[in-house]
Amino acid sequence: MIEIKNIYKSFEHKSVLKNISKVFNQGETNLIIGRSGSGKTVLLKSIVGLHKIDKGQILYDQRDFTSMGQKLRKSLRQEMGMVFQGGALFDSLTVEENVRFPLDMFSNLSSIQKQKQVDYCLERVNIVNANKLSPSEISGGMKKRVAIARAIVLNPKYLFCDEPNSGLDPETSLVIDALIRSITIDLQITTIINTHDMNSVMEIGDNILFISEGEMCWEGNRKDILHSDNQKLQEFVFANKQYQKIRDDKMNE
Amino acid sequence: MDILNQTGRYFALLLKVFSKPERHSLYMRQTFNEIENLGIQSVGIVAIISIFMGGIMTLQVAYNMTSPLLPKTLIGLGNRDSLILEFSSTIMGLIMAGKIGSNITSEIGSMKVTEQIDSLEIMGVNSASYLILPKIVAVVLMFPLLYILSVFFGIVGGLIVGPAVGAVNITDYINGIQYEFNPYYVTFSLIKCLVFGFLIASVSAFFGYTVEGGAFDVGSASTRAVVNTNILILVWDLILTQLIL
Repeated sequence: MIEIKNIYKSFEHKSVLKNISKVFNQGETNLIIGRSGSGKTVLLKSIVGLHKIDKGQILYDQRDFTSMGQKLRKSLRQEMGMVFQGGALFDSLTVEENVRFPLDMFSNLSSIQKQKQVDYCLERVNIVNANKLSPSEISGGMKKRVAIARAIVLNPKYLFCDEPNSGLDPETSLVIDALIRSITIDLQITTIINTHDMNSVMEIGDNILFISEGEMCWEGNRKDILHSDNQKLQEFVFANKQYQKIRDDKMNE
Repeated sequence: MDILNQTGRYFALLLKVFSKPERHSLYMRQTFNEIENLGIQSVGIVAIISIFMGGIMTLQVAYNMTSPLLPKTLIGLGNRDSLILEFSSTIMGLIMAGKIGSNITSEIGSMKVTEQIDSLEIMGVNSASYLILPKIVAVVLMFPLLYILSVFFGIVGGLIVGPAVGAVNITDYINGIQYEFNPYYVTFSLIKCLVFGFLIASVSAFFGYTVEGGAFDVGSASTRAVVNTNILILVWDLILTQLIL
């Protein structure tokens, strides 16, 4: 479980996050949603410690990340996996070497055990016959799946995904969503996903935080969204006519 | 103020770079890769430039020696000392700042803007140390070797061009390069090479590591890295020449 309490963050006097608090549950896909520029990525990067917050607290299973020393922070980070928007695979390494990298860096497993773990993770994300290819030789969807494999190779307790479906076609997006959800449930990890993809919200939104202009606007789950009367949420979700129709159909039922 | 700020950030980055590595074996592997990428792959360009410059310097010394009282051996001596003292260390340093320096800045800068560095940090890896330390070690180790190669190829260049165009005969040239040889000149230049190697790798890495934005910004950072490294090389050349020659 990850808990954030009263988080504030600003860049050069421009306030980006204002008083955000939320509990992200273990074994659930927790979503942070909002328009582009609403502060989603800053919030996610603040939670993982890539941005230093101005005020507030971040607790990983009651361990205070904000007041931790460098050494403890480093060891906690080995319990995290992150999938970046563009995949962030290392260009100089092959697919297999990318997934193996955290193992080489932090585990004391034998070479055979490492290979087994790499094969298991690549199989888990349905990557076959691409082990020796470089990131530039694979598609966007495959890059995301390799990034997921790399993120889970050390059996993390916390998984973070920044816009995992950006730039992907709807079908591949569904595959990625299903994959993240199944990994979350099977490994019982705390997953936080940043997205503005409404399909993802409706498919895997167990616990949703909606932020607008850096402020926490609404929280709930995918079922609550359709019945919410929050004006800003309504404008965000039902900007798409398809979802307006779904809402109207639900209302008429 | 901006220079002070940049200098402070540069030293803060160096502090991060020279912290204890997470896994020595991976750092070693990375260092050998960098020796290959930054050092071995520069041998060709160093050889080509040095052969031509050795030849050109031999011709220029010969054409400026109009007095019949001056012995022809001075042509070889002039070429040798120019190569040992300035060309193969300083001028080669400036050229390497362009080749190796821009390579380092663009590689690290691209990793920064595509979030690969963030990805390392999330894993708990000291990204500055993992990416920059092997490059510094590789360039500092390889630059003195490239210097020695450059002196050798420069002398060979003079030996080929000088006699070929009739500016000097082989015997006079060889006598010249052996005349009054002062080994301290080589020691002095090797010290310069260590300093220049460190500057090329660390300054270029700093500009790459601190880049913000996209491809355009990576390009600008590469240009700034090369310009700043060149200025620093010249400043340190002056300081070291005054202090230890």
